[in-house]
Amino acid sequence: MIAVFFTAVVQLLLLLTVAPLVSGLIKTLKARLQVRRGPGILQPYHDLHKLFRKGMVLPDTASWIFTATPYVVFSATAIAGLMIPMISAKAPLGLFGGVLAVVYLLGLGRFFLALAGLDTGSSFGGLGSSREMTIAALAEPAMMLAVFTVAIGANSTSLSEIAKVATSTTWHFLAPAQMLAFAALFLVLIAETGRIPVDNPATHLELTMIHEAMILEYSGPYLGLLEWGASIKQLLLMTLLINAFLPFGLHSKWSLGGLLISLVYLLLKLLVLAASIVLVETTNAKMRFFRVPDLLAMAFTLAALGLVSTFLF
Amino acid sequence: MHTLQDPQFGDKMVTLMAALVLVLQIAMVAQRWIVTNIRLFAAQSFLLAFIAFTIAYFNHAPHIYAAAVATLLAKGILVPIVLERLVARIEIRQEIEPILNMPLSIVISGGLTLVGYVLAEPFYRPDEAPGASTLGHNALAVAISLFLIGFFMMINRRKALTQVLALLCLENGLFLAAISLTYGMPLIVELGVLFDVLVAVMVLGILVYRIRESFESMDVSRMRRLRG
Amino acid sequence: MGSPHPFLVSALLAFLAGAVSGLVTWRRPAAARVVAFAFAVLGSLLLLVAAFRALAHPSSAISSLPLVTLFPCTVRLDPLSAWFTLTLALLALAVSVYSFGYLRPMERTRNLGALGFFYNALLLGLALVFTAANAFFFLSAWEVMAVSAFCLVVFEHEKAETRSAAIVYIIMSHAGTVMMLAAFLLLAASAGSVDFAAFHLLASKLPPAEQGAVFLLFFAGFGVKAGIVPLHVWLPDAHPVAPSNVSALMSGIVIKCGIYGMARVFFDFFGPPPLWTGTLVLAVGVVTALVGVLYALQEHDLKRLLAYHSIENIGIIVMGFGAALMFRALGHPNLAAIAIVGALYHTLNHAIFKGLLFLAAGSVVQSVRTRNMEEMGGLVRRMPGTALFFLIGAIAISGLPPLNGFVSEWLTYQALLAGFGTTHSLTRLMFPIAGALLALTAALAAACFVKAFGIPFLALPRSEAAATAQEAEPAMRYAMALLAAACFVLGLGATWILPVFDSITQQALGVPISSSLLAHGIALQAGTPQSGTVSPAGIALVFLALAGTAVYLVNRRLRHARVATGPAWDCGLPGLTSDNEYTATAFSKPLRLIFSAFYRPRREIRPEYEVSPYYPSVIRFESGIEATFEKRLYDPLKDWVFGLSRRMRAIQAGSIHAYLAYIFVTLILLLLFGVRQ
Repeated sequence: MIAVFFTAVVQLLLLLTVAPLVSGLIKTLKARLQVRRGPGILQPYHDLHKLFRKGMVLPDTASWIFTATPYVVFSATAIAGLMIPMISAKAPLGLFGGVLAVVYLLGLGRFFLALAGLDTGSSFGGLGSSREMTIAALAEPAMMLAVFTVAIGANSTSLSEIAKVATSTTWHFLAPAQMLAFAALFLVLIAETGRIPVDNPATHLELTMIHEAMILEYSGPYLGLLEWGASIKQLLLMTLLINAFLPFGLHSKWSLGGLLISLVYLLLKLLVLAASIVLVETTNAKMRFFRVPDLLAMAFTLAALGLVSTFLF
Repeated sequence: MHTLQDPQFGDKMVTLMAALVLVLQIAMVAQRWIVTNIRLFAAQSFLLAFIAFTIAYFNHAPHIYAAAVATLLAKGILVPIVLERLVARIEIRQEIEPILNMPLSIVISGGLTLVGYVLAEPFYRPDEAPGASTLGHNALAVAISLFLIGFFMMINRRKALTQVLALLCLENGLFLAAISLTYGMPLIVELGVLFDVLVAVMVLGILVYRIRESFESMDVSRMRRLRG
Repeated sequence: MGSPHPFLVSALLAFLAGAVSGLVTWRRPAAARVVAFAFAVLGSLLLLVAAFRALAHPSSAISSLPLVTLFPCTVRLDPLSAWFTLTLALLALAVSVYSFGYLRPMERTRNLGALGFFYNALLLGLALVFTAANAFFFLSAWEVMAVSAFCLVVFEHEKAETRSAAIVYIIMSHAGTVMMLAAFLLLAASAGSVDFAAFHLLASKLPPAEQGAVFLLFFAGFGVKAGIVPLHVWLPDAHPVAPSNVSALMSGIVIKCGIYGMARVFFDFFGPPPLWTGTLVLAVGVVTALVGVLYALQEHDLKRLLAYHSIENIGIIVMGFGAALMFRALGHPNLAAIAIVGALYHTLNHAIFKGLLFLAAGSVVQSVRTRNMEEMGGLVRRMPGTALFFLIGAIAISGLPPLNGFVSEWLTYQALLAGFGTTHSLTRLMFPIAGALLALTAALAAACFVKAFGIPFLALPRSEAAATAQEAEPAMRYAMALLAAACFVLGLGATWILPVFDSITQQALGVPISSSLLAHGIALQAGTPQSGTVSPAGIALVFLALAGTAVYLVNRRLRHARVATGPAWDCGLPGLTSDNEYTATAFSKPLRLIFSAFYRPRREIRPEYEVSPYYPSVIRFESGIEATFEKRLYDPLKDWVFGLSRRMRAIQAGSIHAYLAYIFVTLILLLLFGVRQ
């Protein structure tokens, strides 16, 4: 009981501290690839620090939903983060939920975020909510099917079990089912974290934004919570991808040495994954909104193929 | 045993590459730009050649090496170059407009893969020891899927050039089936098929050019006007 | 503890008394409102006690009702009946309390005596449907239920919309009853009795063709009531036109009669069924869920939207049944038990949150006097309580943790996932694909409820009526609070409620399941600890801890900072009005375009010019979607029936002699037929 509490606190701190770093890393790498200087890798920390020190303006059209949303998004994302194995194959809150709970907790955050977008009464908020819910609805079956492929392989929806099975099989990631599911989840990751070509996290051009449109009216600490929540969500999905498919170096016991090694491995793999996201972002143009279903249909088909290919093995 | 002699490793590699080939095929269905399509095809042919190399290596079948090299040169390099030049020369609109919409086409391709796996199932013999003899049984399913999706692409696309591309994919499927099922047809047959494909590309290239000249479009549905 | 039957009988008597009191107070609406619904509340409470007793001490003792002796009126509260009775009692309690407040403004304009009569008759019919122990009594109760529901639907009969909806409802309902009747006759012919006890496991002993016929007849017959696609067309018309308290009952529990019938037939009358039955039911469930939610997304009539969501949720329940049937056919009773638990738990959950949503929608509609969402908006300020309750219902129905919808969907997912390992044939791909489509359904439902809550309740009022709306009466809010609390209890307390299912799965499949569904006392698991766990209570606890800490820390920061309220920034555009707001139509537009192959949307823009073609004075915009099922399936059917009737007109001579001759000929033919047998 105390051990669970302790591990949960450790992982929570890790989530809170590493998430802005990953966002900063992606921004910096992207700038370098585009031959810009770009912000420093620690910029997100500075941003958060500043946002939490500022005052804020609440729109007079908004209701209590607007105030509650940052807390709901932040907490739901953080709980989901505690359910995935990060530096140990045993997730701290693994008992409280597996991969289904993670997906649905992210759904809870999204639900409130979309409501907050509508709450202000501005058309941009509504536009963002409408698009966000549309993309999420289309990404969901692809994500679930990919997750099912992994879950069926491990015979479990518990992420700890999945990571354990993945570490114990040799050449595991070479199985086509794994690879196809990985590709599908990668596409879903791009859609869910609002990356190019689905959404542009850097834009404030009114008509193209999705996530930014929903949080347009937020300022100060609330905006800080939402930004932090978004980067935790990104870290969470990346970690999920890493530890469900490429778990080498992941220790299954909570021991100090093992944890440090796992942490180093995790950071290295995050670096590689971030680099590939940057590569995708830089080499692609943002899609028209109505082309996004193509991408998600692709993800769905890849996941379905992964499932079919377990059929013969 | 060293990894490079472990037939299980070879099996995994072939399976993995076959799956990649399939992914590329579906990417071609999903891709709107003709030039990207041609490059995807080139990548697919490269992968096929590597599959052939792997099978040749683990089965100690030297004649497959030859087929692999021929595939690499002809379909991986020569055909894409010819097609890209053709695209540049006839200055067609670069975007493919399939008859069915994109998500539907992609999902249909997924369905066709399922059919491919069903058709390949009788060839799967799990009771045999995993060794050289069962190498790449997954590849057969992929091969049949390539064939079916290639066919579907031919039906689903309007322009003659994109249909040529679909035909080439279909042929890739045949090649994969041949090397995964029988570890290569006799070399001479292989070369013959390859030569056939090359000639077909040339002839179609000229034809496409002609069609465009006389119809001001590559849309083959306009050729309905030809009937008496 | 004693038998539940005395409580059941007194509950039935209370409903009967309520109905009679409705007749007595026919001309005195104020008295009718109090007396008839007080009896309904009393009956619901008694029924609740009966259900609890029956679940605590499962038995399948049969007792006769002391009222009528014309035919065997036997009732039985076996675990399955008790579960549905519990669902009925909980919902009826809340709806009856709600009715005290809801009906008050109608006292001057409506015949509340008639409403009280039919309302109590409906509850009586429902209670009897769930407890009847023989086919004959069951069908009689079914008719009481169907006819009183019809009368309630047609209560506001001055509107043409209401009349046509009610007529479609009663026609389809009776077509369903005919199919059920035929199936019951087939079973009775083989059993030589009409007692349900005699039907137990009987259907599986019939020859295959007959077995298939019985199965299909029951599935279609109960399917009409439940609203499975394509037999659902009556539902979105009939539910919204009724008064809102009746809508809550209709969507919450009346359609569950179909589910009860299916559960009774699939898991009591049938033993292990052939595999195709499960495959069919699962496929129908998936299609029903998807079609329901897709139509709901394009619906901007608040009550119709909720009615379409009933179809979606019926689909989810039917998916659970389908999976259970498949598992039974494949010889996995434990997995079948998980699927049944998921489906039955969702049945209760749906009754609770859909009842809640309809009651909240009823408050809104009563206050704003329209069902069109586009004329609402900003109600969260005028009606804070109703808004909160609607939000709780919306979260629950979207299957979001930690409320009750999440628990039952989680169980269904787990059952579907485990299904992949049960067979080596191609059929096994159905399970994960069904799971993925369930995910699509749930995500679309979440999108739909963002719209259904966001457009009416948030932002600025879109009409004068919405700007001056009044909060619902206390009785109405108490009723909604009761159901909202139930959403929490059924979600967070799932681990304490699941043991109730032991007796149900024991009865249906011979396996008590709860011990393999509980992990460490606070979490649910799917069969084994390795297969995945979830704990809504745990999630809620950690959520509260995290959110509490965040609130504390942020507010400590904000004490030193300036928090101002000002006009929304809106990218610098000044003067935000309700005209700037995103509408429900706009919100659902992306999905309308993406699924255009399904919706076949049409839109028409007609500009009118006065001076110059560049400056239209008026632009009319119209958009809509095609009612595919009505147009492609039911219209041809209707035309065919009318065509047939026209041809039949030839024998309508209009002369009494001709009719006598027809009767005479028929009589002779029947006599000949009878003698030849």
